[in-house]
Amino acid sequence: MTSTVSSIRTRPGWTIWARRITMTLLTVVLLAFTLVVIVPFIWMLLMSVRTTGEILNNPYGLPKVIRWQNYVNLMIDPQIRFYRYFYNSAFVAFFALLFSTILATMGGYGFGRSRYDFKFRGILFSLLLFALMLPRQIMYIPQFVMMARYGLLNTRWSLVLLYTALQLPVSTYLMATYFSQLPSEMEDAARIDGCNDWRMFWQVMLPLARPALATIVLINFMVFWKELLLAVTMVTEPAMRTLPVAMMNFVGEHGSDYAMAAASLVTSMVPVLILYLVLSDRFVEGLTAGALKG
Amino acid sequence: MAMRTAAGTKPLAARRKRSRRPWGAIALFLGPVMVYYAIFVIYPLFATFYYSLHNISPVAGKVVTTFVGLQNFKDLFSDKIFIRAVRNTATWGIAGPTLEMITATTLAFVVYFRVPLYRFYRTAWFTPFLVTGVIVGLVFRWMFNVDWGLLNATLRLIGLDTLALNWLGRKDTPLWVVIIVHWWATFGYSFILLLAGLTAIPHELVEAAYIDGASTVQAALRVLLPLLRPTFVTVLILSFMGKMRAFDVVWVLTHGGPMHFSETVATYVQKRAFGWGSLDLGYPSAMAVIWFGVVMVSVGLITRLLQSRMEY
Repeated sequence: MTSTVSSIRTRPGWTIWARRITMTLLTVVLLAFTLVVIVPFIWMLLMSVRTTGEILNNPYGLPKVIRWQNYVNLMIDPQIRFYRYFYNSAFVAFFALLFSTILATMGGYGFGRSRYDFKFRGILFSLLLFALMLPRQIMYIPQFVMMARYGLLNTRWSLVLLYTALQLPVSTYLMATYFSQLPSEMEDAARIDGCNDWRMFWQVMLPLARPALATIVLINFMVFWKELLLAVTMVTEPAMRTLPVAMMNFVGEHGSDYAMAAASLVTSMVPVLILYLVLSDRFVEGLTAGALKG
Repeated sequence: MAMRTAAGTKPLAARRKRSRRPWGAIALFLGPVMVYYAIFVIYPLFATFYYSLHNISPVAGKVVTTFVGLQNFKDLFSDKIFIRAVRNTATWGIAGPTLEMITATTLAFVVYFRVPLYRFYRTAWFTPFLVTGVIVGLVFRWMFNVDWGLLNATLRLIGLDTLALNWLGRKDTPLWVVIIVHWWATFGYSFILLLAGLTAIPHELVEAAYIDGASTVQAALRVLLPLLRPTFVTVLILSFMGKMRAFDVVWVLTHGGPMHFSETVATYVQKRAFGWGSLDLGYPSAMAVIWFGVVMVSVGLITRLLQSRMEY
């Protein structure tokens, strides 16, 4: 057999033929399953470069000519100007990332390092983690009233504030875990040199926590880019919509131009998909660490 | 994998009695996050409970709050749509996680044993989880389209015209379409979590089983599966809670329709609070409260039944 044998974890000692036959059958089944899983993506891509007429007549057909026109129209058509929603989503994601990262790294440092331990810290931390069990539905009605009271409805800032709150518990938890695992020698050395707490955090410990920082930024970006419930509730003004809401309303407002709608879906998922393909290990690491504790 | 809870574990050095705690620094680091959390999470949580006992609606441009006691909760029990939403969500809460756990566990084992192309599978299966529920909902609304959807086109192609139903327009199929589509969107996440759980189990145990003459399947079922149990329970609970709060996929795919046949509690709360123009925020709050209670109790039961501790 080839050199891949060592990486295979099935029982050794099969005959070569038994192994080959089993693996071939398994591969056929798994490839078929994988095809079913990714077919919606492929179909969406194909739809986006055809015309709506072609799609309706022949759902299966490959595009006769690849029509980039759908993508061009999506961006330059004065009725659509899809880039506005990109801007809104990017704006919300950027500031929510900024706020949640600042709060979570500081909180994570305070919760993670033994120097800042005090009697009720554990209870406070549990209180924070309790939020991981709360569905959004149990909070978002008063959140709406709150935004209405302060005149933040139909602004991007309402989403910035609420998205920050949404991801704060899990981000703080991840940072706290990471900070608690860093050794304290550096800290001690720096303290002897007269370093105060803030500089300790900012110049010594935070640079060491860069991997965890990257993880929470990545995961939070994905969550902010995907979110619908709050986006559809807090923002009803068309010009302020984020991508998910804009896509949802696209089909209704622009007739049944399915090809163009498909192009909008493809465009909007590009950023997250690229990040995932480049940094998939970090994604997986962050999502598993946030969910499984032991 | 074995990560300790950050707060609560004190290395020995920290137990040394300190004369002075750095209260200023503690306030600096913990203050902002806790204040923010109190304003945007804790306060709304309590406010929902408060709202649920009131009638909250705008009269002449101002929001008027009237105390109605438990009236909202009483009304819920005679609300036919709410009862249907509860029934649908409960069906989903049983069928969804069952389907997801069976498939995700099987797939996690497949990748754990490193069958050919396992890296490709791992990447491909996780991809649906990355895209927003809006994309999922829209694409599958087209896939299940009665006239030109890919599913019906395929069925007609292989001569099963009678099976080419109006999947999203009947009374019996839409809920199941929602269940399957949501499974498609989330099984990759459960799969990744279970795979992480499997990878954390020392591989020597499996090798020892091989030496004792166990087959691969036996090693998986008798050695790995029992050890996977704590992760399994956690993932099951996450999956269950995911179905109970799921909003975006249903909202875009069926909008709870037709005629509330695929209504879930999450979509009904949204409709009653912001959709129908009725603008009484008390009634949907009562729904959210009831549902929160139901989910907490269910999670408690699952944990108790499977005798494993859930950490948060």
